[in-house]
Amino acid sequence: MSSALNEVETRPPVMLGALFLAFLKTSMYGFGGPIVWVRRIVVDERRWLSDRDFADLLSFCQFMPGPNVVSITVCIGAKFRGPVGALAALAGFIVIPWAVGFGLGALLLSYAQTPLLQGILRGVAAAAAGLLIATGIRLLLPHRHRPTALAFAAFAFVGLAIVKLPLLIVVLGLVPLSIALARPDGTPAR
Amino acid sequence: MNPPGASVSLIGHIALLAIISFGGVPGVLPDLRDFVVTANGWLTDRDFANCFAIVQAIPGPNMILMMSFIGWKLGGLPVAIASALVTFGPPCALSYTAFHFWDRFRETAWQQRVRRGLAPVTIGLVIAGGYVMARAGDAGWASLAVTAAAIGLMLMTRINPLWLVAAGGALGGLGML
Repeated sequence: MSSALNEVETRPPVMLGALFLAFLKTSMYGFGGPIVWVRRIVVDERRWLSDRDFADLLSFCQFMPGPNVVSITVCIGAKFRGPVGALAALAGFIVIPWAVGFGLGALLLSYAQTPLLQGILRGVAAAAAGLLIATGIRLLLPHRHRPTALAFAAFAFVGLAIVKLPLLIVVLGLVPLSIALARPDGTPAR
Repeated sequence: MNPPGASVSLIGHIALLAIISFGGVPGVLPDLRDFVVTANGWLTDRDFANCFAIVQAIPGPNMILMMSFIGWKLGGLPVAIASALVTFGPPCALSYTAFHFWDRFRETAWQQRVRRGLAPVTIGLVIAGGYVMARAGDAGWASLAVTAAAIGLMLMTRINPLWLVAAGGALGGLGML
């Protein structure tokens, strides 16, 4: 649990270069959900974290604003090497992959009007939207026995997608109420 | 080309959305689409859908890249870079600060409440993001069928999501959507 944070101090220090390279790899492999690759590299390959620690970190980062994988990157870097580690991991995750992805994507966007590419993009967007919805449904499954949780998920969905309220209104309106009504009993929802 | 004021207003809006994007960036897609397509007309619905599709088809930090492409369409490379920076910069600083605090109070009752209260809202936002993107760019019934099939296969099999994206692209490339 929280003592797991101290265990790492008995191991050899994680090098800044290793953080940079590990997250560079994660980002470049990151087709179809970078989280999968972060787990594979950080837990299975490098053995920097146990599965349990990783799950704890993930549950924290899923609630933080911004790109989830970026939060994980920053937290893992910070955990091993402080602020410099966070920067090294972040630089690995973003700088080169962003430049490569931006160049590639800008090229594709300039040809987006050709019928073939137009068709392909249409199909990719349709499938990717499905993956997003499925991810949401999967995350919702552990909460299926809590009517309040289902209700708040439904309110958030309807507010944003159907009524088309601004995100700020939805978040400010629902989050305080949802936290006030949540009970801390039972197993923590993951 | 749009006036510089438009770029500033886009960057400001992305920064605001990023800092309240609890549960991840996909939850901001409905709001962002309303802002850039419906309210301001900076991008067409198809452009917006194309940006979304392209970042799914290339590696790299996909939601940061999506914001960059929207910025690029509006004001070229400088706006693309600024859009990327505001997408991850402020949230990163927040995660960094909050992590130590969060870790120290793990397993406390109030933290479990926050966790349990935030989770359903963030999940609803992610599903809303998927729903809006599924209907973006005047998607016909065939596109919706692809979305439905992707949902079903993702939930019922252990298939690598990459295959689903590739299959969607192939069907679209063959002109079936």
